[in-house]
Amino acid sequence: MAALWIMNIVLLAVAPVLVILLAGVLKSAKSIVPRVDAIAGVAAAASKDLDAVVVLLTTQNYISQVVGSLANYGGSLDAALPDA
Amino acid sequence: MSLALAVMIVLIVLVIAALAVFLIATIVQLVKINRGLAAVISSVGEIAAKTAPVNGVLDAINGTLITGRNLLEGLFLKKAGDDAGGLVESVFPGEGAKFQQRVGRGGPVHNIGPTYPRGAAILASLLGTPPPAAEAAAPPPAHGTPEGRIRLSPRSPSGGVATAPPPAPAPPPAVAAPPAADAPPPTPGRITLRSRAAPMISAQPASSPAQPGPGASGATEDASVPGRASARGSRPWER
Repeated sequence: MAALWIMNIVLLAVAPVLVILLAGVLKSAKSIVPRVDAIAGVAAAASKDLDAVVVLLTTQNYISQVVGSLANYGGSLDAALPDA
Repeated sequence: MSLALAVMIVLIVLVIAALAVFLIATIVQLVKINRGLAAVISSVGEIAAKTAPVNGVLDAINGTLITGRNLLEGLFLKKAGDDAGGLVESVFPGEGAKFQQRVGRGGPVHNIGPTYPRGAAILASLLGTPPPAAEAAAPPPAHGTPEGRIRLSPRSPSGGVATAPPPAPAPPPAVAAPPAADAPPPTPGRITLRSRAAPMISAQPASSPAQPGPGASGATEDASVPGRASARGSRPWER
């Protein structure tokens, strides 16, 4: 009989600790949700912003044309100006 | 049933109930996190797919730009010689030493300044106009080059000399001026590297009339500024 009462006392002491620990886990889990939602929104916006990356191909083409024109201009300068 | 046993059972039920409530709530939150991460992963996957070709494209662009830069620097070194570093330093202060280091040349870098007499002489000879008046009035020590050119670079770090092509006649002390020249420009005989996009040559009006060089009439189309030979007028795309 004495042992049962001792176990009851132990249970009474453990129960609040258990509730506190579980409440902490739940609070942490709840705090993660809005952050994940925010990250999802930012990732979606970033993905949408990267739609313009395709234009880099056009930029590459333009730069190639510009450097080609520059080379032609340099050739003309090479012919027009005397060497040092 | 004893009282102690009943109390124990009640306590155990309460503990199990607390465990169940909090664990179920935690599971619900973890499910929400899982859904959110799934949305994040899909967006990140799109980002990765869209940025995959960026490295190759940027490398190609960088390669093209480096090729153009090397081409222009090589041409610049070929045409300016030892004055190249000084010219870079004069236009972009602090960049002359970096330029010298990049092209593998040593030695100190001397700032050419806002004017480059050798360039002025070359441009004047190309335009068929007389050289700048300052050069003609006080000619630096001139040396004939194998091509028969005259170097006019008194401030060159190498003591160097500018060259003038053979078609340009030897400048007399009195510089030939266009017929419409009746007022001296603010800075006669100077070519600026900074102030204008198109190079301009100012010729000091002569006291006695002289015949301009060949092609001077075509080069002095800028009639709004007397005594100024401009390369702008001979460029059809700027009209």
